[in-house]
Amino acid sequence: MLTTRRVLETFKQIGITHVVGLPDNSTAALFHALADDPDIYLITVTREGEAFATAAGLWIGGQKPLVVIQNTGLLESGDALRGALIRMRIPVVCLVSYRGIKSLPNPPPPLTPDELSRREVDSVAALLEPTLRAWNLSYELVGDNSDLEKIVAAQQRALQNNFPHFILIADTIR
Amino acid sequence: MLTQAEFLQPLARRRADQIVVSTMSLVRAWGRLSKHELDFAFADSAMGHAQSLALGIALAQPQRRVLCLNGDGSMLMSLGSLVTIAQCRARNLILFIAQNNTYEVTGNQNIPGAGAVDFHNIALACGFPAAFHFSDAREYEAQLDKLLHLQGPILISVRLEPGHEPPPNRKQTEDTPYLRGSLADSVHRLHDVLMRTE
Repeated sequence: MLTTRRVLETFKQIGITHVVGLPDNSTAALFHALADDPDIYLITVTREGEAFATAAGLWIGGQKPLVVIQNTGLLESGDALRGALIRMRIPVVCLVSYRGIKSLPNPPPPLTPDELSRREVDSVAALLEPTLRAWNLSYELVGDNSDLEKIVAAQQRALQNNFPHFILIADTIR
Repeated sequence: MLTQAEFLQPLARRRADQIVVSTMSLVRAWGRLSKHELDFAFADSAMGHAQSLALGIALAQPQRRVLCLNGDGSMLMSLGSLVTIAQCRARNLILFIAQNNTYEVTGNQNIPGAGAVDFHNIALACGFPAAFHFSDAREYEAQLDKLLHLQGPILISVRLEPGHEPPPNRKQTEDTPYLRGSLADSVHRLHDVLMRTE
């Protein structure tokens, strides 16, 4: 299980100053907690592309932002991700909630028109990891408090490479 | 209606140690007037998001003023960011909108709502504490000193004549120094300058 308290502790462990993003059902509790947290400044945006550009500006100005969005928003905001965090080489960790992960068959479905339109499969889940791989973006899955060290490692890797690193949130944060 | 020079020259004359983020047709035009180390060209980047990058810098550097020189077409690409900026109460952010009603760098095609969009009233409706519109060069210059010292975030839209700037590029042969490095180099240089002078 992923808990808000442990996720926030992890953010503070790696020195996060700002969280920029947009909530969904699986990150709602985290956003509620962030709204009341005295140590981390929450910036809720109207569209995910804003989050990447704002995070870039925060980093330029010397802060340590982290982005939290849903996988639908990641697909919506591709050019902002490309033109801000990737093109600018900004070392920011991005948490992306993995909507629809439980609808994915094992192995994942081929990305055919028939599969992408099946009502049993959430197509954004089917497209998430292939999209990240196609963009050569590194990522880790986090689905339990015992996985949270991956966020620490992601921050280190982002800093080492001057490049964003992605964490896919595979369960609801409670 | 102002010319691009009537918009930018008074601003360049009054510029002190503010960070200036320019984008699209304003990149080269500003670069011809200023060679300051706190100039940043939002070019070869995420189209429509210059004001969000400026917001991030402003929140990170509350002791400095940040001026964002945005275009009307660029602003329309992310109007929701006006709500985010207002919500964040970035007191040190001034957002200029050069309103020439066209996509200048692609040859002056009309933007959606050309002539009808009222950016300063949109900003007020989004929660900006103050917003202004100018279509007269003398009035703009007469007010500029006062505007640059107001508590932000403020939006200033300026009605401009259509110009003929081509798209900004990043090449070693650029006349504008802040376009000669890669976007990543420019970003990391500005980061280093801000950390050094903090």
